[in-house]
Amino acid sequence: MPATISRQSILALLLVMLTALSAPAQQADAENCNLCHSLALLGIATPSNGIRSFEVTAEAYSHSTHRNVICRDCHTDVNVFPHPVEVAKVECYKACHITKPFALTGYSHAEQADAHAISAHGFNSKYSTEKNEAKPDCKYCHSNTFRNVIQDDVLEKNSEHCARCHEGEGLAGVILHVSSHSGHRTAEESIDVVELCSSCHADQGHMKQFDVNLTQVSGYERHFHGKALKRGMNEVANCMDCHRNHLNLPAEDPNSSIHPNNIQQTCSSNSYCHANATAKFAVSAIHSEPTTQNNPILFYVEWGFIILTAGTMAILFSHIFLDFGRWVGDIWLRRKEK
Amino acid sequence: MSRDYTRFTLSQRLQHIFMFVPFIILVLTGFPIKFPESEFWSVVMSAAGGIENARIIHRFAAAVMILDFAFHIVYVGYNLIKKRPSLADMHLVPNGRDGKNIIENIKYFLFLSDDRPRFHRFSYIEKFDYWAVFWGMFIMAGSGIILWFPVLFSKFLPGIIIQIAYIAHSDEAMLALLAIIIWHFYNVHFNPRIWPANNVWYKGTLTEEEMEHEHPLELEEIKAREEASK
Repeated sequence: MPATISRQSILALLLVMLTALSAPAQQADAENCNLCHSLALLGIATPSNGIRSFEVTAEAYSHSTHRNVICRDCHTDVNVFPHPVEVAKVECYKACHITKPFALTGYSHAEQADAHAISAHGFNSKYSTEKNEAKPDCKYCHSNTFRNVIQDDVLEKNSEHCARCHEGEGLAGVILHVSSHSGHRTAEESIDVVELCSSCHADQGHMKQFDVNLTQVSGYERHFHGKALKRGMNEVANCMDCHRNHLNLPAEDPNSSIHPNNIQQTCSSNSYCHANATAKFAVSAIHSEPTTQNNPILFYVEWGFIILTAGTMAILFSHIFLDFGRWVGDIWLRRKEK
Repeated sequence: MSRDYTRFTLSQRLQHIFMFVPFIILVLTGFPIKFPESEFWSVVMSAAGGIENARIIHRFAAAVMILDFAFHIVYVGYNLIKKRPSLADMHLVPNGRDGKNIIENIKYFLFLSDDRPRFHRFSYIEKFDYWAVFWGMFIMAGSGIILWFPVLFSKFLPGIIIQIAYIAHSDEAMLALLAIIIWHFYNVHFNPRIWPANNVWYKGTLTEEEMEHEHPLELEEIKAREEASK
């Protein structure tokens, strides 16, 4: 058994699993919640929030990520009928009735939630409540609306991208990951990942309240990865490939995938990226929006080219303009003489 | 009496073709990546078969262009050693006459004089074209090869060199494209005295009339030499 799995075999595996997993959900509405919640007019009108619909269409639900999870697995405090007016928000780290493979324990997103909690996106005691709430929680990135309409071809297209990080995990690891992702159908196109991250990180007004680099997105977009991705080259790195999916940590943190000690490992972590990346290669700042402070050499190289180009073109244009002017002038003079 | 004067040998004409054909391909496969959101370049990118294909085509065309340039260097070196020309015979080397010609030409443009400068074998305009390509080749090929093998180059050069190469490749490409489509195309196509095209690039010869108009000093010298050898 080879230690690494080829992209082709993962793709084949995925296709088999997709077929197996696309069977319609049977027990999801075991408690018959849709008896009421399928009604289009079911909702509540409050002075503060306006009209809030409680309708859950069978179509949307049966195509959603959680189509196999019964309602009360997540909506845990809806225990009586009629339901209480105030109910707690859904927390993703709670165990549900889906069984974890080989474990016989309830499945939960606790592992991801724990990573998120200590990441840059998690709760920070130095920040005000308002600021902490302005950071993305599970549902910001994984909202059901974001993942409602899921096309199988997206998964197929992205299997190559998945395999890049999971290639070294052996068959069992691959099956776990692939089954989990195809079961949840969470594979996104790289361009969607960048769009999702950019929804906050490109918003200068929003990001200004945090102590982060404000040019991350523009820096990514001006670099090869960003440009090639826009042109449809899916194997280039998206945000998550380098910054990880849940444990996003700032570069100063020694556990961060982009800490100077780890960045070389991150760039060379799989054979599809920059295998054998050297330390010097890895430190060449990928998000650099050069300034006289952070990167004076690049700043002056860039301005040097701008001045060279503008200067050269100004001279050449003047020459062309004058040359053409003399030609037109000659015609005019000749006509005048006649 | 009308006769033709050889201006470019077959080898020189081929060197030009093997420079400009890859140049066009490089522009068409490179600029869609420089401008990833441009609709115009999207059309070009699809015509090239998408970014994956374009990257392969780009490198192939680059190899052809670099080989052509390398051949040119060898060709020039060989001729320098074989013919040992005097400085005056190295017609592409900028000299004092170019400065004089620029002033004369500006005076002519501004109607301060009615005489066009009398150019020798290469006017300052043509010398500029030649040396612009010469400089551009080093920048484009140098930065392009670094971007082609970034990990390899980072083994013995500082990491910032990759970033510099990235900026240099992208910006010098813009300068080169502008210089070609504005300056070079004006001087060999759109200039109303030339329009629609100067066909010396494939014919290799100029007529006596063209010589008198564009390179009178060279014509004079050729005739004087012929007179002397009679």
